[in-house]
Amino acid sequence: MALHKLLRAAALTLVLLFFLFPIFWIVVMSFQTNEEILRLPPSLVFAPTLANYTALISGHLQTASGILDITFLHNLWNSILLSTCSVLLALVLGVPAAYAFARFRFRLGEDIAFTMLSFRFAPPLLVLLPLSLYFQDLGLNDTYIGLIWIYQLICLPLILWIVRGYFEDASPDIEYAYRIDGHSWWRAFTRIAIPLAGPGIAAAGLLSFIFAWNNFVFALILASADKQPVTVGALAFVTASGIQYGQIAAAIVLSILPTLALALYAQRWLVEGLSLGAVKG
Amino acid sequence: MHEKAQDLATAFLAGRIGRRELARRLAGLGLALGSAETLLNAAATRALAADFDWKKHQGTQIKVLLNKHPYADALIADLANFETLTGMEVTYDIFPEDVYFDKVTAALSSHATQYDVFMTGAYQTWQYGPAGWLVDFNEYLKDPTKTAATYNWDDILPNLRASTAWSGKPGAELGGPGAHQWAVPWGFELNNLSYNQTIFDKLKLSPPRNMEELMAVAAKITKDAGGPYGIGVRGSRSWATIHPGFLSAYSNYGQRDFTMANGRLRAAMNTPESKAFHKLWVQMIQESGPKNWATYTWYQVGTDLGAGASGMIYDADILGYFMNGGDNRERGHLAYAPFAANPAAKGPTSNVWIWSLAMSNFSRQKDAGWTFIQWASGTDHLFYGARKSDVVNPVRNSVWQDAEFKERIAKSYPGYLNQYEKTAPDAKIYFTPQPLFFNLTTEWAASLQRMVAREVSVDEGLDKLADSVNRQLHQAGIG
Amino acid sequence: MSTTVIIPTPAKAPARPLLPRLLPYLLSLPALIVCIGILVPFFTAAWYSLQRYNLAMPLNREFVWFGQYLDMLTDPDFWATVRVSAVYAASTVGLELLLGLGIALLLRERTRFNNIVSVALLLPLMTAPAIASLMWKLMTNPNFGVLSWLVALFGVHDFRWASAPSSAMFTVVLVDIWVYTPFMMVLLLAGLRSLPQQPFEAARLDGVAGHFVFFRITLPMLAPYIVTATLFRMLDSMQQFDIVYAMTQGGPGDSLMLFQVRAYLDFFQYTNVGTSAALMIVLWALTYALSNVFIKQWLKLRERTHGAA
Repeated sequence: MALHKLLRAAALTLVLLFFLFPIFWIVVMSFQTNEEILRLPPSLVFAPTLANYTALISGHLQTASGILDITFLHNLWNSILLSTCSVLLALVLGVPAAYAFARFRFRLGEDIAFTMLSFRFAPPLLVLLPLSLYFQDLGLNDTYIGLIWIYQLICLPLILWIVRGYFEDASPDIEYAYRIDGHSWWRAFTRIAIPLAGPGIAAAGLLSFIFAWNNFVFALILASADKQPVTVGALAFVTASGIQYGQIAAAIVLSILPTLALALYAQRWLVEGLSLGAVKG
Repeated sequence: MHEKAQDLATAFLAGRIGRRELARRLAGLGLALGSAETLLNAAATRALAADFDWKKHQGTQIKVLLNKHPYADALIADLANFETLTGMEVTYDIFPEDVYFDKVTAALSSHATQYDVFMTGAYQTWQYGPAGWLVDFNEYLKDPTKTAATYNWDDILPNLRASTAWSGKPGAELGGPGAHQWAVPWGFELNNLSYNQTIFDKLKLSPPRNMEELMAVAAKITKDAGGPYGIGVRGSRSWATIHPGFLSAYSNYGQRDFTMANGRLRAAMNTPESKAFHKLWVQMIQESGPKNWATYTWYQVGTDLGAGASGMIYDADILGYFMNGGDNRERGHLAYAPFAANPAAKGPTSNVWIWSLAMSNFSRQKDAGWTFIQWASGTDHLFYGARKSDVVNPVRNSVWQDAEFKERIAKSYPGYLNQYEKTAPDAKIYFTPQPLFFNLTTEWAASLQRMVAREVSVDEGLDKLADSVNRQLHQAGIG
Repeated sequence: MSTTVIIPTPAKAPARPLLPRLLPYLLSLPALIVCIGILVPFFTAAWYSLQRYNLAMPLNREFVWFGQYLDMLTDPDFWATVRVSAVYAASTVGLELLLGLGIALLLRERTRFNNIVSVALLLPLMTAPAIASLMWKLMTNPNFGVLSWLVALFGVHDFRWASAPSSAMFTVVLVDIWVYTPFMMVLLLAGLRSLPQQPFEAARLDGVAGHFVFFRITLPMLAPYIVTATLFRMLDSMQQFDIVYAMTQGGPGDSLMLFQVRAYLDFFQYTNVGTSAALMIVLWALTYALSNVFIKQWLKLRERTHGAA
């Protein structure tokens, strides 16, 4: 048993090292100047600086050729807006649909479900060019609404299929018992089914939030500079006069924070789960 | 007689002829320079009244698409002057270089109307022009109601003007008959050597003058400099690997990418001379290039030089310029030298990258857009950029002659002006213009990668490349 | 004990026959309608794929039916793309599944420590691959790269990461694993923790061996989750673009010319709308076929677990 525990600890240590070392290193770099980052060999001894963060937050970067404006915080705001709205919309649309596919057998049901999934097959590149033409005609070009709509390609299939699995795992018996007590279908759905599928909804919501957050090609092609997410914003530090690694590292750290906060908040549902066993019997 | 004198005065004011020339020609008409003063004043008044009305588009709002680049930074810093001069309002969208051309291609291909003017390279106009997305500036340049006499188009380096003009016929000479001026040159890049003076001093090296010396010096640095490798060149799977140092050296041996016969293009990369040059280049990278060469883009080549990881680079002069400032470790230690790979060549033949300004054919206010381009590529702004900012490869001859600019560069960038002067006469685009440029040149780079990785021999690799290129030219109906 | 999925026609159903029948449609149609708009550009793209259509050569535009698809079949570069994409998808998804499952099992217990660790492990997923790849490129740089330095400590000098044909695939797969294993992990962990406890308790009481429990109870019960997670990973992996493009641009040589990398170059750099669209349609068809297999499997597994429950 001791050996077993030791192996477990060793495995976990390796896992943490592999996944968190690059993050650790990015955090370290975010407190370094470019000159310190580009040292041979790399070293952990340095005088930490907050310059990268102050540049990002104040929006001004002092360079050899003058002061440059940085729109990073605005990019960050765009990311928050786009991802949050997209996920919320996808949840509103996707959870009832997932419930329908899980609870009911209906004509064309599986076909609709598969069609929804197949939107995920369409490589973004395939639809981008025609899409930008149509967006131009529809006046959706360069609007948040248009982007949030297109982001459903990323969010909706994920939410739909993951949540569906959770609904199917939750036994319908409780719902029926509840309904026989005289409650409406809607109440059964909101009071019983949704809480039971809570961990799934949280996991799917968080994951689709992350995928929406990491996307940049849609906004790049379909919107102007003032609606670009943080992914495009961070690329601004790759300039002809050099890559500002310190600022990119700081940008990564800042761009992780909102998602991390969300994940920590959601972890209650995400990993605590519910003792479905009792339900499932 | 009087009319001719007036024309001369106008030409002088427009900067098309110098003061000495004016005096010479006036003398030819039987007039003295002094007696021409009244004539000149009259001409000046006439020029202001009839020649050009900068306020014509007062109140118009135009939108410009910019790449995040020091040239664009200079433009933005100077925008207020343009707005005061014209009463126009300029808004701009600025995108990171990594994704900039994706954005341009997407905007143009979807016929977006929101951008009037945008930054582009000359190569890109070989696609955008024939696609019908660009405005040909010839008619604007010829129209005195649209172009100020003081604009002085001829002051822009002739090779650059030609390199941004193309008839659209695959293989036709740049700037040749029937060429459309798809873009206006704005800032450019020469490809020469930038080197680390400290390392060169330590090893008692002087800048190499030809391919053989380059390889020897690079090998010496790799061996003896105690860490840094010899020569930084790009190597990623992209057309951008071919166009800087590589093509400049290649052209120096008189080699071409294509030959034209009966209006058909044929690959010319597998001639014996080309193979010999490729072998030298491949060997140079294997011996003294960066270890991760196949992933090296502009950024890595520059970063290594700036951080002291490489002894020299054969790339854009302006890349070396940037690395000599900012927060780079080797700032102040870099120097510049012209380079002609072929010992038998009479001088360097640098292929050039030209940051240019172009106008979208879908713009709804083209005249206003042209007013902006005229200002941005005009003397006033380029003087500003060269003196006060980082537009250190201005496209205008008058700016290169400017004492203030020259002094600033000579002080902190040893050899920079010299490499320009030695290289400028034969600096132009050495690629053959054709619509498959990006496709075929990227394939060339991929092929080079295989040779460097020893997956294929140079001879075999180039023969295969030529076959593949010819096949694609044929499929596209141009070869 | 529940039985199979029940079509809910509870007590009052006969009184309102229409609504219950319409209900599932009412619930699922909004989602469908929102997405259906995407079908229009999809068909436009399919239409482009039947044309020789390079934006830079507008006069050459012509309708060629399936000409471009036929050209592809005889094009060795296309088959190289299929092969490379398959290797990439298989190795990333396979390794991520194993790793993700392993980590999920390690973190299965509901302890505070495990919960924190599982959130911390999501960090790689939260760094956008397009940006994270810049960092990986720096970390694998032979001069300044901390990883190059670390492997040199272990005696591996001169390792060329993404720039040598022999290690390029390894490098991008490594980055993909780093980014996306957490995706697998979190889905499988959520699945593991929502499994009913009863069979495990029974097995424990009976003193059943650990590996037997794993292969006979855990794995079968987890199977639907594994299929969903694998399906989504596979869809993304076959459409991989940002990591590979940012790190190698498809090189060295043609060694990493995945579908999307090739199609991206065709469209954005070569303005060849026709070939780009045809390539994407092929990719779409491949993912469609594969997903079909997965979904069939998933539905079957669902039936079985529910039947057995």
